[in-house]
Amino acid sequence: MTRAYPPIRDYAAIGDGRTVALIARDGSVDWLCLPDLDSPSVFGALLDAPRGGRATLAPDVPHRAERRYLPGTNVLETIFTASEGTVRVTEALNLPGPGLGPQRELARRIEGLSGNVPMVWSVAARFNYGRGRTRIGWRSGTPVVAAGNQAISVCTWDAGRPVVAGEAIFGHFDAEPGSRALVALCTAEQEPLVFPSRAEVDERLDHTVTRWQRWGRSSGYGGPWQDAVARSALALKLLFHAPSGAVAASATTSLPEEVGGVRNWDYRFCWVRDSAFILNALLQLGFMTEVDAFFWWLMQASQLTHPRLQVLYRLNGGASATERTLAWEGYRRSAPVRIGNGAVDQLQLDVYGDLFQTAWLYSRSGRQLDRDIGRRLEAMANLVCDVWARPDSGIWEVRSQPRHFTQSKMMCWVALDRAVRLAGAGQIPATYVRRWREEAAAVRAFIDERCWSEAKGSYVRAASADDLDASLLLGVLFGFVDPRSQRAGGTIDAIRRELGHGPFLYRYSGEDGLDGGEGAFLTCSFWLVDALARAGRTGEATELMEELLGLANDVGLYAEEVDPDTGEFLGNFPQGLTHLALINAAVAVDEGQRR
Amino acid sequence: MSFSGALAGGFVGTLVLTTLLRAASELRLTRIDLPFLLGTIVTADRLRAKAIGYLLHFFFGFFFALGYYAVFRALGRAGWFLGAALGLVHGVFTASALVNVLLPVVHPRMGTPLSTIDSETLIEPPGFLMLNYGRGSPLASLVAHVAYGALVGGLSALGH
Repeated sequence: MTRAYPPIRDYAAIGDGRTVALIARDGSVDWLCLPDLDSPSVFGALLDAPRGGRATLAPDVPHRAERRYLPGTNVLETIFTASEGTVRVTEALNLPGPGLGPQRELARRIEGLSGNVPMVWSVAARFNYGRGRTRIGWRSGTPVVAAGNQAISVCTWDAGRPVVAGEAIFGHFDAEPGSRALVALCTAEQEPLVFPSRAEVDERLDHTVTRWQRWGRSSGYGGPWQDAVARSALALKLLFHAPSGAVAASATTSLPEEVGGVRNWDYRFCWVRDSAFILNALLQLGFMTEVDAFFWWLMQASQLTHPRLQVLYRLNGGASATERTLAWEGYRRSAPVRIGNGAVDQLQLDVYGDLFQTAWLYSRSGRQLDRDIGRRLEAMANLVCDVWARPDSGIWEVRSQPRHFTQSKMMCWVALDRAVRLAGAGQIPATYVRRWREEAAAVRAFIDERCWSEAKGSYVRAASADDLDASLLLGVLFGFVDPRSQRAGGTIDAIRRELGHGPFLYRYSGEDGLDGGEGAFLTCSFWLVDALARAGRTGEATELMEELLGLANDVGLYAEEVDPDTGEFLGNFPQGLTHLALINAAVAVDEGQRR
Repeated sequence: MSFSGALAGGFVGTLVLTTLLRAASELRLTRIDLPFLLGTIVTADRLRAKAIGYLLHFFFGFFFALGYYAVFRALGRAGWFLGAALGLVHGVFTASALVNVLLPVVHPRMGTPLSTIDSETLIEPPGFLMLNYGRGSPLASLVAHVAYGALVGGLSALGH
């Protein structure tokens, strides 16, 4: 019988700076793309339980599981408790250590704590989104699964004799007190496999714990929510693509925004929109190596389409993201499963504001922009002057007709405002400053005249519209409107009143060109905390923040959305933007409390 | 027939052979990575192994070109087709004996039928016709070696 899809909330993520594995509470690795996060999946049961492939490890008897990350790390520890006894599983995608190691290495250490617990593990790899023809062979007694130019060796020690059954490999063993077994999945693409020794896998697992702890210690946040902020920083680090510095929006594709619905998107790209949040969070936490890596990746990637900005870029900096669908049933039959993202071709004007805000934050941190980047930003600011009056698809990438979205216009104003400031700081040429000022004033006049509703006492979703949009909070966060002004207060209250559902916020009201609905967007709730803190309403902000922190799953991770009625996670997971918004909100409240 | 032509053939032929094998890898036909295999004889550091592996690969490219040249001299003629034929023999020898049998013997990190995974880090052995690295490996290797041979033969003959 096919296993039912676990709730998204049941997943924990481990990673190595190249890829991320999602492990369900029942010990099943249901998502892993190889060799990189945006490569095709090898384990994809998350999106097609019968055909996606997975790697399991759990007691072979009824049990319950409690999980945590080892403190300050992305190494997962699960305690399985059965009536027969207790077992501890420690698992990670090992970070490279000294010496020759496999290309990627998923290590699972099993320690018997008490009693005698029968354990079972299995590996059913399905390469290339299940499209590859899997062959199982043996090398010196070690089973190897291969398809095309990819292979995985299943190295085990004291974990029972591997047995091949059909297209999977299984093993059974008993975990006794003091016993220590090890299962390592060692992967290779376009190269021969490397078979590590037991001592090396063990050593690398310990080394991985140490490396994560060392990284986490460099965080500079000293506010009241240190655990949540530290976990968010670690979750974010999982989404960093180590070779380039890019940050993926999420580790998954097509986890649905509505179960059974069509709103299923591939988030394994880096969105320009996230850049300002990423840089702000990294700067607040003092991760300067990542600040430099990300900024330079962004500048390099955007060079491909200069002066136009794409909405998103590939993690390697490429500009192509052609959208296709897989013949998979989807998470709980939420089809289609998409790879690639069609939003890449949309006009979304807000990204210019995000990029300029990023450059401004980078410059304000004491970094110098070189002349070439200065000239590119100058050309981009001129482009904003030319295009701001056009309708666009907006921050939420709606698939309905383009409109004059208010938040897009606000971010165009942010772009021109930051361009003027950067020119004033001598970071970019000042030749067109007058034009930028005039156009910024025109954008502001457009917003204030056509995007404000006296009836609601709030900015509205689009010009001459009645709908509301939680992204208008970004007008407060990015300084378009004074946070303590009447207009800011009115907008905050209206959004909470009309889009709120307890601590949750829906993204917008009104049409978006897609069938079905969606959950509440967690990022927006954290933006609300941020806006309240900036508006001096720190009591409300703190209360809401506490409530939101209680919504994380058992290991402190968040998805993109949540069903306000059931608390069920929806959308891709773990979601970088949610964790970024959490960090920035925590810092804003902390600053608000100290003012 | 010219010696310098053979050397040039060795250089260009190795370039083409490497590119063809890489293309086959991109096409998901094989996991052959000759620079990785050669470099890890010398070092366990992945990056260094690749760099050293490329140098060794080119060295062997020149070395085999000299062998081809010796055969051409013995036969008293050289040419594209003769080179390709030699490349075919070379390719069969590489897949069946050189990489399959001899490399594991000299490679300090390569598994043999006698090794167990408890000993130390081991690189996957190529197996007969390098089939361990994918079913397309023999074909990819053969085509690449025929191209190599043709270039060595053709460029050697240009010295007339």
